[in-house]
Amino acid sequence: MTASMYALTVRQVRLRVSGEALFAPLDLHVPAGTVTSVIGPSGSGKSSLLAFLCGTLTPEFEAEGCVLLGDDDISELPPEKRGLGILFQEPLLFPHLSVRGNLLFGLRADGGRRARHRIADRELDSMGLAGFGDRDPATLSGGQKARVALLRVLLAKPRALLLDEPFSALDDANRAKVRQLVYEEIRRRKLPTLLVTHDENDTAHAAGPVVALTPP
Amino acid sequence: MRRPSVLILLAVSVVPTFAGLAAALWFGLDAAGFMRVLDTPGIGLSLASSVWTGAAATLLSLVLAHLAVAVSVTGGWRRRLNAFSLPLLAMPHLAIGIGLALVLAPSGLLLRLLSPWATGFTEPPDWLSVQDPYGLSLIAGLIVKETPFLVLVLFAALPQVPAERLMLQARSLGYGRLKGWMVAVAPLLQVQIRLPLAAVLVFGLTNVEMAIPLGPDLPPTFSVVLWRWFIDADPAIHAQAFTGTLVLLFVTVLAVFIASRLARLIAVLWRRWAESGSRLRGERAVRGALDATLGGVWSLGILALVAILLRSVSGPWRFPDILPDSGELSTWSAVLPVAGNVAETTILLAAATAVAGVILVLPAAERLRHDAALGRKLGAWLFLPLLLPQMTFLFGVQVLLVYLGLDGTFAAVLWSHLIFALPYLWGVLAPARAAIDPRYLAVARTLGAGPVRAWTTSTAPLMLRSMLLAMALAFSVSIALYLPSLFAGAGRIATAATEAAAAAGSGTLRLAAVHAILLAVLPLAAFGAAYAAGAAVFRNRREVPR
Amino acid sequence: MAARRIVPLLVIGFFCVADADSAGADAESPAWLELQREASGQTVYFNAWGGDLAINRYIEWAAERVRERHGVHLVHVKVTDIAESVSRIMAERVAGRDADGSVDLLWINGENFAALKEAGLLWGPWTGRLPNAALIDWRGNPTLLIDVTLPTEGFELPWGTSTFTLFYDRSTAPTRSQSAPRNPAALLAWIEAYPGRFTYPQPPAFLGTAFLKQMLLLLTDDAHRLQRPAGEDFDEVSAPLWVWLDRAHARMWRRGRLFPRSGPAQRELLAVGELHWMMSYNPAEASRAIRQGELHETIGALHLEGGALANSHFLAIPYNAGSKAGAMLIADFLISPEAQARKSDEDVWGDPSVLNVEDLAAADRMLFESLARGAATPSPPARLLPEPHPSWAILLEREWLERYVR
Repeated sequence: MTASMYALTVRQVRLRVSGEALFAPLDLHVPAGTVTSVIGPSGSGKSSLLAFLCGTLTPEFEAEGCVLLGDDDISELPPEKRGLGILFQEPLLFPHLSVRGNLLFGLRADGGRRARHRIADRELDSMGLAGFGDRDPATLSGGQKARVALLRVLLAKPRALLLDEPFSALDDANRAKVRQLVYEEIRRRKLPTLLVTHDENDTAHAAGPVVALTPP
Repeated sequence: MRRPSVLILLAVSVVPTFAGLAAALWFGLDAAGFMRVLDTPGIGLSLASSVWTGAAATLLSLVLAHLAVAVSVTGGWRRRLNAFSLPLLAMPHLAIGIGLALVLAPSGLLLRLLSPWATGFTEPPDWLSVQDPYGLSLIAGLIVKETPFLVLVLFAALPQVPAERLMLQARSLGYGRLKGWMVAVAPLLQVQIRLPLAAVLVFGLTNVEMAIPLGPDLPPTFSVVLWRWFIDADPAIHAQAFTGTLVLLFVTVLAVFIASRLARLIAVLWRRWAESGSRLRGERAVRGALDATLGGVWSLGILALVAILLRSVSGPWRFPDILPDSGELSTWSAVLPVAGNVAETTILLAAATAVAGVILVLPAAERLRHDAALGRKLGAWLFLPLLLPQMTFLFGVQVLLVYLGLDGTFAAVLWSHLIFALPYLWGVLAPARAAIDPRYLAVARTLGAGPVRAWTTSTAPLMLRSMLLAMALAFSVSIALYLPSLFAGAGRIATAATEAAAAAGSGTLRLAAVHAILLAVLPLAAFGAAYAAGAAVFRNRREVPR
Repeated sequence: MAARRIVPLLVIGFFCVADADSAGADAESPAWLELQREASGQTVYFNAWGGDLAINRYIEWAAERVRERHGVHLVHVKVTDIAESVSRIMAERVAGRDADGSVDLLWINGENFAALKEAGLLWGPWTGRLPNAALIDWRGNPTLLIDVTLPTEGFELPWGTSTFTLFYDRSTAPTRSQSAPRNPAALLAWIEAYPGRFTYPQPPAFLGTAFLKQMLLLLTDDAHRLQRPAGEDFDEVSAPLWVWLDRAHARMWRRGRLFPRSGPAQRELLAVGELHWMMSYNPAEASRAIRQGELHETIGALHLEGGALANSHFLAIPYNAGSKAGAMLIADFLISPEAQARKSDEDVWGDPSVLNVEDLAAADRMLFESLARGAATPSPPARLLPEPHPSWAILLEREWLERYVR
């Protein structure tokens, strides 16, 4: 797997709803393999910022500023072309697909069916989920689901990662394990990562800069 | 007997359905009869064309509806799709069928609009564009009606599915809007709409409303063959129809079974597609083609209405004139006195269906307001008549009515209409009742209102809009019903549907168009009135449920 | 009226029955006056096909007249097929309702008449008791006494006549009147020269079957054979018809793969320009349609050389009718010069009269002579061809379905 060599840059981003700004103009620079955390109380515009980065902001918002991956301005691209992987609070595994099916859905299309199956099974193995390929996602524990969701995102080969409070739905034991796994993968794959959360523990383990969204 | 209101509903709807089915089996099971049915010239082709048109129309409508919902929800024009669906939903099959026959025929509105400037035709070409032997015009007609219906059903299922987040997930994995929706969201919606989809398939296989004006002849679809036998005055041929409806039932059950097997196979292939990891290219072209197709479907529906209006007033109307040359109202003046009586019966019947239906459904909705599981079960039972070929159990119902001496009475026809209106009434009123915050009633009671006064002052006003909508729906269902009126009415109760179908059956489309106007306009008027009344009563109230 | 050549067989039939019942009674006779007294106040249920607005209005008009003049109440029971009434009468016989039945008067002919008569379910003979029966053109038109090969013997009263007539659009280039085809061979040549503009209603629709009978009568070598029941020789006798149809279908409207479902449907196709031809049993149909603004004024009419298929339609009284006197009184009114003239008025109905107009009193004759005949109404045909025995129609319909439903 090739490592990402890009930095994620956010430049002078402002979001407004009916003329009113949500937060002060935001500038971020996230080098490859590092995690930058964005914190703020609820209603501070965290989810709107994520939507802006993903390109799924609804039309009632006015947005300014740009998002760069390396030197590419991705602000005008449709969501699927941006190369941003996202992990949500819930794992959102597709309930009609098997565990392996979910991974194959993420895996880019190349190679034959059998080769793709081998890749998926190898990845499951590497996460300690060997033999889980044919399972219904609904039968998995919370920690297992989170790991499958992470694998699915990584198999799509994103150029940067967005984390939307990804550990908050997990119980204490699982949270630490999954958190460690995620941060390891980020470093290993050199992904610039933006973490949005209100959990101090998440930011502490991320070991990167913390930016607070402040009212304008 | 703890829930009399529920039992009454079942007695009105499910009991006669089963009784009718039993009577049809009792009278129709007859070996010699089967031989006579199977000896009819062209009967194999009839059955094949029923199955082919019903299956093809259902499949195409389903695909179109899924694509339309995908594109409209992810593209932010859901409201536009709703507006698109409503007029097509309100117009009955029979009206659209008659209208489309007037649009698609070689001398129809479509070619008139294009001739001679674009086509060079000064006489209608000799094309089999309507009633073609392959049933293509029939399939087109069914698609115009069933696509908006399935769109409505899909929209109703949408809140059960976390569509927005699934889409975000799919898109962040690099999928475009169309493929993302089709593999991540559509399969979950599909599971929810199996029952209505089966009803669409059954209707497609067994309908006469579209098949009379648009279906092939020589031979016609099997249901039209049965219909001709039914209205034949010769008792021997009439009896043959009994056995025929059992053949229809068998074919329908078989088709639904095969369809459910096929659905499993498609689900497997669908998963393969999802797991292939291919990110669809050329979505823009697909969306363009889809927009054009949906626009085409909608235009056909609207053109059908225009054609009905033009044809009903026209005198001679030689091709390629776009308007009839003597805008005389001669047919109208000749038909008006008759149409007046028909309109009266039609409206009276529809209004009675709406009122009686709401009166029957409200107590049960009240009773089951806290029991969602039982409510869904009752809904499924009430839906049952829509999953059977109408002819099969109506034949039996007719025999029972004759036995009871009730055939041909207004009450019998009203009853038959209620069977078909109740599932829709339940579908609107039960969720509306369940959604009302029980504390409103508690507040009313603590303020000193008795149970009746509390209901009339707190629950009823909050449900008024739903009740109006439900009544408009029941009204429209009643207007559209043809076979129930024919069977329970014993040919003695004339409604717009029976008259339009009879005229279309003898190929006199102009007379059919006169009655089809009533068919098309009354439901639109009913929905319009329901919305307007709801808006007027609550014009200064923002939080009254819609 | 033009002299007609009559098929000899029918002439014989005519003389056999003519004296028995066609004479007509005196309107001042005590018997008739007594009948009028008896009829007054009766309600007569007249079962008649209700599918045509003009006809329904005409019956309404008649109902008003007989109520005003004789105090008889006529109720038009509009049936979609008179066979329904036939089954009801048969059911009443089975149920033992031998008096005061639900039907008093029927509009009937052909196989339905045969069915009721053979079952002994008709009352009569009664037509000779009507004063106006003397005015009927018994000698001029054999179909008034022989209803589709079955002698009427006074059990049914002629009400109107039908003559199979073809109509075509004169404005379209191929069909300018001189060159309009007037025999089967010429018609086939026309169909082949101008494909897609000719068709006929789909049998067993009434007019479609009539077209088959008309063509068979002209194409077969032995038209007399058709007066007797069909038998083993059906294939042989009908062979020329199928040869003609096979060739015609290949060049007909929709190449013979689709047919109009009824006569009126065919008329609509003529009105929008898809067809150049239509057909009817009523020679005045096109004229009436033109006046009512349903067809262009460029329609012409013709009867094929060799004779036009003809029949009559009748009024009959069931054996168990409750108001026989009222029914007879109404029947007598319906064949009065006043009612018959109005019926032949193309603005009203346009159904040809059964009366011998030439022998009517001057004032009555005026009623007919003042009627304008539309440009699209042909003069009476040179020769009338009586209907084949009903068994032929049944076999023709069956064979047609076997051959062309594929």
